[in-house]
Amino acid sequence: MSVTHDVPTSGGSESSGSPRGTARTVLDRLALDRFSGVYGLVAMIVLFSILLPATFPTSITARSIGSSSAVTALLALALVLPLAAGVFDLSVAANLGLSVVIAISAEQNGMGAGPAITLALASGLAIGLTNAALVVGLRIDSFIATLGMSSVLIGLAYWTTDGNPLVVPPGSTLVKLGQANVAGVPVGVLYALVIAAVVYYLTEWTTPGRYLYAVGGNKEATRLVGVRVNRLLVGALAASGVLASFAGVVLAAQLGAGSADIGPAYLLPAFSAALLGATQVSRHGRVNVPGTLVAVALLATGIYGLQLAGAPIYISNLFNGLALILAVALATRAKRS
Amino acid sequence: MLTASGVPALDMKAVSKTFGASTVLDAVSLQVGPGEVRALVGENGSGKSTLIKVLAGYHAPDTGAEISVGGRAVPLHSPAASDAAGLRFVHQDLGLVGSMTAYENLRLGVGYARRAWTAVPWGRRRREAAEALQELGYTIDVEMPVARLTASERTAIAVARAVTGEGPEPHVLVLDEPTANLPGSEIERLFDLVRAVRDRGIAVVLVSHNLGEVFELADTVTVLRNGRHVTTCDVAELDHDSLVEAMIGRPLDQLATTTQPPRLPPVLEVLGLADGTLQDVSFDVAPGEIVGVCGITGSGREVLASLVFGHGRTSGVVRLGGRTVPPGRPDLSVSAGMGLVPADRQAKAVFPGHDVTENLTMVRAGDYSRHSLRRPAEERRATEEWIGRLDVRPPRPRAMLSDLSGGNAQKVILARWMRLEPRVLVLDEPTQGIDVGAKTQLHQRVREAAASGAAVLVCSSDSEELAHLCTRVIALVGGVVAAELLAPLSAETITSAAISETERNNS
Repeated sequence: MSVTHDVPTSGGSESSGSPRGTARTVLDRLALDRFSGVYGLVAMIVLFSILLPATFPTSITARSIGSSSAVTALLALALVLPLAAGVFDLSVAANLGLSVVIAISAEQNGMGAGPAITLALASGLAIGLTNAALVVGLRIDSFIATLGMSSVLIGLAYWTTDGNPLVVPPGSTLVKLGQANVAGVPVGVLYALVIAAVVYYLTEWTTPGRYLYAVGGNKEATRLVGVRVNRLLVGALAASGVLASFAGVVLAAQLGAGSADIGPAYLLPAFSAALLGATQVSRHGRVNVPGTLVAVALLATGIYGLQLAGAPIYISNLFNGLALILAVALATRAKRS
Repeated sequence: MLTASGVPALDMKAVSKTFGASTVLDAVSLQVGPGEVRALVGENGSGKSTLIKVLAGYHAPDTGAEISVGGRAVPLHSPAASDAAGLRFVHQDLGLVGSMTAYENLRLGVGYARRAWTAVPWGRRRREAAEALQELGYTIDVEMPVARLTASERTAIAVARAVTGEGPEPHVLVLDEPTANLPGSEIERLFDLVRAVRDRGIAVVLVSHNLGEVFELADTVTVLRNGRHVTTCDVAELDHDSLVEAMIGRPLDQLATTTQPPRLPPVLEVLGLADGTLQDVSFDVAPGEIVGVCGITGSGREVLASLVFGHGRTSGVVRLGGRTVPPGRPDLSVSAGMGLVPADRQAKAVFPGHDVTENLTMVRAGDYSRHSLRRPAEERRATEEWIGRLDVRPPRPRAMLSDLSGGNAQKVILARWMRLEPRVLVLDEPTQGIDVGAKTQLHQRVREAAASGAAVLVCSSDSEELAHLCTRVIALVGGVVAAELLAPLSAETITSAAISETERNNS
């Protein structure tokens, strides 16, 4: 609730267009628009803690939100690179699903955790490169190419499993890698933070990262300043493929089980987070890593709190969908002002 | 210019238009009879387009202006009223939807059925479209997306849309540069098209830079200069030179067409460059030279800059310092030491959502990183330096480029390349739509770049600019080099070289 209330104040980007002196500088200094998600998160935590003093402000809550949002965060991070370059990768969720299936069946077939993970990541790389071949090579619109790829991958996942649920063999190393806690922190959260650091470094602190945003701003102009745009796009799509399959490995390790239909449900939350994240932290409304993490935390906390307060399970769909629409509406408004 | 009946198809009286302090049109009066083809000529800035925009109801003229069509007064400053009066316009870009068929395009504005929710009689629409085009002398597959038709067929569809249909009867058709985008072989067909329209008793106003076309097609010609009406007469009373003199307001000097080898060995060599428009263009530019390229739209001037930089050419060689620069690889052009300031700044140079610093340092952004870690502080320092040198306002590295005026944005784009000290700097319409102050500053910076050893190529439709800036000017006519002008350069000689008799191969 408080999310839908708080985030529009981030439309304070609107007020930054008005030439009113002091009020505006104060707002700017508070950076109300860029960090409204953080304030919203804090407000939500306070609110739920007051409403649900026995159940919400506990370490179980923190751990549960953390481990349940780690996979969403990883998938959203996979989206950051192509979205920065203005390219959609709608196949990330199906890629994740296939990777879950590959990792678990590899372990079932007697492979060690290492080879199983490598195989899953290799499938992600292959998917990313295929996407790149379609988008860069054949010049198919990325939305359509990766939408098609998504369906192909779901089909492949069913083919591999015959539609049966999969469970890891007893004593699975994969599960040990996924269900551990390090100093009380679920290991999935740590994986997400490491990947976040890598993607953050790439996008914000390297020259290719800057070129990626340039492509997203104006592809032709980027080409004309001598950047090899196609190579960048191949790199971005390949990276999102690998990261999405890594998210799948983490999910498989967390659950110790999976099925062919596990992936698609993650698509919308990941897009919500990445696009809502674009309204956060970045000065220019770009898709970015810190903003994405803020958005993931915001969405996960809101959904968890509401469910704890007795909201039905489908609240997460409502919440994520509204957040996606709201994020795009905000971004559009910011661009207009 | 009246017909026997005495009622002109178009009668404009005392049309003036001022924007702020500048008078763009000064009491222009004009009468065109039914079935007459009137050419409207003048240099850039002579007021032709403003006159057309007043006619279309887009601009409100100053008080005192009167326009009537077929003897009836037309309410001013209303596009709907001007359409209802029977004024029709076909602009240079034609306004067709490329993915739609001819019959869909023909009724794009008026709708396909009589009412919104009744079924569209598609069969009838197809037949009507085919007939309308047939009457204009064109047999076109009306089911084909118009993007796949030839340029003159597309023009025919735009003209058919203007002069047929159920709306108010057309009296006047204004054609703005109709042949600018046509290959030579299709121009004759367009002439026949215009004659077919004229034979229906419709007055045709032909806005054109191409004087060959004026002499071939028009009955009468009106010359505008600096917003004033200079003369209106039968084309038979004029020859090419006297028409040019009327346009530029001065006697025509003999054109200097000598070629001298540049003093230093050239750094940029262009040999036999060609695409659809350009045919076998060769020239070279030496370090320190500023070579201009003039030409009317359609002469190849508008594509030359991007072709030299590496945009897909069909044949020809571009060499930089003796090394061939391959086409289609802007990255190699840049690393060879070439920079391009493209004509369409918004589409091809500006990074929206990026600030001045990012826009300025985007070429070879790696210059500002160490051990592959970006150093924003260095980027900002460099940007501040260039902001100072080019007097960019506001002088804020973090301002969004899109918030800057056109002139200041263009300074940032120029600085983007000057920072690299390029061996060859290619500028396409560098000051189009830019205020005079910024224009002077940009010119000064370009001269400095040349003085420090860059070879500069400037393609521009602004003769004044070329005369100011260049050491030498190449005139393109019909895709070939028609003349090479050496100092002393004047805007008049440049303009007259650009509009000299076209040498298109009409076959």
